[in-house]
Parts: sequence; C-alpha cells; structure tokens
Amino acid sequence: MTTILKEVDAVVIGVGWTGSIMARELTKAGLNVVGLERGAKRMPSEDFTLPNVRDDLKYAVRQELFQDAQEETVSFRHSPSEAALPVRRLGSFLPGTGLGGAGSHWNGLTWRLLPSDHNLRTHLTQRYGQSAIPSEMTIEDFPVSYDELEPYYDHFEKICGVSGKAGNLRGQKIAGGNMFEGPRQNEYPNKPLPQTMAGSIMEAACKDLGYSTFAGPSANASEVYTNPEGLTLGACEFCGHCERFGCEANAKASPNVCILPNLLSDPKFELRNYAYVKELVYDRQARKVKAVRYIDTRTGEEYEQPAGIVVLGAFVFNNNLLMMTAGIGEQYDPSTGKGALGRNYCYQLSGNTVTVFFEDKVINPFMASGAHTTNIDDFNGDNFDHGGLGFFGGAIIAAGTTNGRPILTRPVPSGTPRWGREWKQATAKWYNHAFNIGASGCSYAHRENFLDLDPTYKDVLGRPLIRMSYNFRENDHKLVEYIGAAMERIGRAMNPTKISPAAVRRGNYSVVAYQSTHNTGGTIMGSDPKTSVVNRYLQAWNADNLFVVGASVFPQNASYNPTGLVGALAYWSAEAITQRYIKNPGPLMPV
Amino acid sequence: MRDVLIVISSAVLAALVTPAAAADAEHGKALFVACAACHQEKPDALGPSLKGVLGRKSGALDDFRYSNPMKRANLVWDEAALREYIADPQAKVKGNRMPFDGLHDPKDVDDIVEYIKTYK
Repeated sequence: MTTILKEVDAVVIGVGWTGSIMARELTKAGLNVVGLERGAKRMPSEDFTLPNVRDDLKYAVRQELFQDAQEETVSFRHSPSEAALPVRRLGSFLPGTGLGGAGSHWNGLTWRLLPSDHNLRTHLTQRYGQSAIPSEMTIEDFPVSYDELEPYYDHFEKICGVSGKAGNLRGQKIAGGNMFEGPRQNEYPNKPLPQTMAGSIMEAACKDLGYSTFAGPSANASEVYTNPEGLTLGACEFCGHCERFGCEANAKASPNVCILPNLLSDPKFELRNYAYVKELVYDRQARKVKAVRYIDTRTGEEYEQPAGIVVLGAFVFNNNLLMMTAGIGEQYDPSTGKGALGRNYCYQLSGNTVTVFFEDKVINPFMASGAHTTNIDDFNGDNFDHGGLGFFGGAIIAAGTTNGRPILTRPVPSGTPRWGREWKQATAKWYNHAFNIGASGCSYAHRENFLDLDPTYKDVLGRPLIRMSYNFRENDHKLVEYIGAAMERIGRAMNPTKISPAAVRRGNYSVVAYQSTHNTGGTIMGSDPKTSVVNRYLQAWNADNLFVVGASVFPQNASYNPTGLVGALAYWSAEAITQRYIKNPGPLMPV
Repeated sequence: MRDVLIVISSAVLAALVTPAAAADAEHGKALFVACAACHQEKPDALGPSLKGVLGRKSGALDDFRYSNPMKRANLVWDEAALREYIADPQAKVKGNRMPFDGLHDPKDVDDIVEYIKTYK
C-alpha cells in the first residue's frame, strides 16, 4: 500500500551538491521543498570528527561512505554483443550516498571547462575540417557557452571558497595561473595552497621543458573564508585524509558545510533521510512528472510525494534509471543511432601515472590537502595541435602529494617483487621519497558506449540495474600513449634516482581498479530533442517540470574533475527555474 | 659565583629596561578568525562556544559533545591553562579532538588570550 502525501511545490531527489544547491535556490524563491535522501543524515560536527574520522581501514579501504553494491549496482559489458554481469564489488568508480553525497568525501578539485570544451564539435570542425571527427565519435557542443556560464562557475567557486590563481583575468594572461583557461571575471576567492615538495620538483622540470605550471584549483581552503551564504570554512591543516573522508577541520568545501546549515534551518525545506526513491510517476499526456514514489528504508513503507517541480539530483546511474523506468524519452539504440536516453555515456581516462623516486629528497606524501596539485594544461583539450595525431582531446597532467596514507600508498620501483622481504625493504626505503606524475584524460563519446536497463539483474527495490556498455576506444588508446610519453619526458627532466615507465590505461576498460567517479552522460543536454534528453536549462524535453542536474547531462567528458561544471550548471538551471519557470510553467525552449 | 651574579643582574636590568611587549587584543581578534571557523555560536558548530570561556571548567557546555580526554581533563580555563592549550593542544590535553596543532609564536598566544579575556 502506498501512502499518498500532500503535494509540495518541489521535490529534490538526492541531497548532494546538486540537490542542496537546487533546494536552497528554490526555497529562497519562496517554494516549499522536500529533499529525499536515501542515506543517513551526516553533519561534520557529529560524523567527521577526530579521532574516528582518521580510520583508513574503515573509510578508505572498506569504503564506509559509498553506495553499497549489495543494494544497488550496475551491470557491465564491453560491447553490445556481450551479456552484462553485475559489478558486485564497486571498484573503478565509487558513487556516494548519504547527506552531502560524494560532495562530502571528494578531494576538492574545482575546475572550469575550457571554452573549446564547451563548443567541442563546432571547435574541432572549424579547426580540423568537416570530416575530421570520426562518425562513431558522437561528441556534441554543450548548449551553453563558456561565456554564458562564467558567472555561475564564479558563484560556485565562491560558495566553495576555491583556492587558486587566475591565469586569464578578463583576457589578461597571468603567469603562475592556468593561461589556457577561459577569461575569468574575478580572481579565485582564496590564494593558492602552499606548494608541495612534489609540486616544486614538477615546476622546476616543466620550466626546463617550456611548460607553464599552476596550482590546481582546490576547494580545500588555504585560509579562513566566509562564503556568500555567510558560512565559514577553516584553513586546511594538511592532514592527508581527504578523498573518501569527511573533513575534520571544516576546510573542505561540501554541501554539508557550504549550504546545508542554512537550508536545514529554513522552514520551507524538509529533509527526509532514508527515503529511497523508487520511481517517477510520469503523465505522458500532460508531459509532467506528477509525483515521486519512495521507500522509507527503516520501515519498508512506500510513499508517493506529489510535487509541482521534480529535480533529479541523484548520481549519473540513478538519474538515468529513474528516467528509463518511467519511460521519459526514447531509449538510445546503438545499432540505429535513434533515441537519446542512455546516449553518450562517458567516463574519464584516469590513473595514468609515471612514478619518480628521489633518494635524496623527502616528499612527505602523508601531509597534503586532497586537491593539492601542481598542474600543466599544455597537453589538455585542444590546447595543442592535433593535426596528424589521430586522436582528439588531451589530459591534465599534475604532480602532488595527496592522501598518502600508508595502507594504500606504497610506491616501489618497477621490478620490485609484489610481496615478501624485498618488497618490504623497498616500501620502507621509498615511501617517503617518491611521488606520481598523474594524468586524467578526456573521454569522448562513442556510438557503442551507452547505458540502458539490464534485462536480467535487479536491485534491492526490484528495479532493473543500469546496464553499462563501455570500453576504451581507439581515440582513448592513442590519447593515453601520447600523454604517457609526455609524462615520461617530464619525469626524466626531474632527474630522479629511478623512474618507472608510464602506466596508462591500455587494453580493455576494467571495473576492478579505482580510476575515478567521473561517470557522465546518458541524460545529456543539447539543442535537439532527438539527440538529447534535457535542454540548455536542464529541463527534460519530455516533461517540462522535470529538471535533471549533475554530470549525467554532460554530452561528453572533458579531462577535468566534473564538480566545478556540475555546480555551475546547477546554479544556471536554478536561476532559469526561479526567474522564468515559476512565473510561467512550461517548456523553456521550443520543443 | 661573581660571574653568575653579574649575569643575573644583567638579566634583571634587561628586563627592567625592555618593557615586555604588551599583549595586543586587536591582533588576537584578527588571529581568532581562524578559531571562529569552528568555534561559533551555531547549533551544528564543530567547536564549542568560547564566549566567557575564561574561568570556565573544561568540558562544561551541555550542548557540545566533548571528546573523552576533554571530559576527563578536569581543568579550569584560567589564563595559564588557555595559554598552554593554545600553544600545543595535544601536549596539554592528549587525545583531544580539536584538529589544530597550536600557535607556535608565544606573542600570538598572548594576543589571542588577551582577546579571549574580552570575549564574553
């Protein structure tokens, strides 16, 4: 039996970064908003305090704060010709759950995309010719330009108190910042974090090679900061427990610190924890989502929450699942290319590394912020000429020390045995004298990389699993070899005692080893309802009161960590709702 | 012995002619901004309120969940105790859960204590 609840103005599914932003903006505009969060209520004062939070085994190894694969997972196959099997232990990517979502336990790298990432298809066609983009590479332009989104990137950076240095301030290029970035109207809210030892070595080597380094934009506050919400971040203490942990020092931006204290005290907002959304109630005739059905996981009771506006702010897989099970839009079919839902699932080429070892230098890998990198962007996006290279896109390349806790960080030179006495000796010798040069590369859409519903396997609520069909493609293989060679050049320029050859993502994609939780696409934004699921304001083409926020709307993935763009798009969409949609509900773009 | 006396009297003399730098509550207030990132008057604040802390017993606020070491510390936050704690929190109350390693400049410690005296 389903209990029908009283209608509210808006319901937000998932209370992480996007859900918190949308709920906050809608309540400020006078709407009554209910937030449905499947996980626990987590607040730093109770859940992220010392000494409990520094439990490496509990949080980093046993993945305390992540989605439980026994309740919900995805099935996976490399190509549409294979049968998919469920991922029974999450590895490659780790979706969050609980109040604050992955925003409570991320590292904090907060990027803007390059202007040419925004209009990717147009840009590449203009520079390399009409036939340059292979037909199976189904990349698109974002339907919102860098310049349009700039004020929203800026606002999200202020909410997070991002530490960094501008490299392009209103068109003026500034050495020491990222000179490839689009023009910024304002400097970062906080000065960059102090450079790590690894970063200093990186800077010197890159200078010799003619590349310009800059501090990675970090939502780990370099100094005490009060954001536009009037909420305060403390200065980072460099404890080294960042990714997979909540912040004990109040220094890492999260919804829990930067938005939720205000949202939770607003009587117009009601948070319901342990409210696991099962399905959307879709009225095909009216082209509206009438209500949201959820299970209270403490009692097993089912509820139906009618709402005027529905905001889908879950992780990529759940955003796709809820739209697919409700039949909002046509499922993408790779054999015909028809349908938009599930199209352009992308990932990222993460975890490409070259490890350098220095007998005479002390690196202190345990002592850093989460986002504490010294970067170059010379090999990113279309910042270099791709003529004759046979691939498009690039990678951010960085060196730094972060999260160097000894259970999971044991750099040893190649050729060292994997266990036993020699391995122990090498671990002890090199732990404090090594670091990685790392690269994260673009993931450009491919015709056969997509999401749909699994015909066999179901989750704890009885719904089909999302079936992921994904593999690295020719573009990816060529890209990582090119970037691996660049990293080796940088590594050698550091004059290390030892250097390990580039370990890059070769061969088939594997769901076992952690790479990144930068999954994107499936409900992509676009200008054409035939090839996209939401319009430029993140409003569903097939349900005008449904707004889908998060990385599931990216038409393809750039090489940057996605949160900066996710936050900017949430504020962009929220403004369209509060300024236009509320006054005149209906499609914000002609269908 | 005579040498020792001379040394001592020089030290006394130095103390007399060099006035001890007065603690600067204004500077302490500026430093306190870092503390206030957690020590706020809000219900979900990460740190306990420091309003009127001077002379208070340690672990005394009902609405803050102190660590066990702080509950057991049994201190009175007089000037000396505050000074020692701010200079090195783990040395003063081992195992307490304030994620801050202390102010290393004694002048900063004096200034912040001077400010806390006025913070009521």
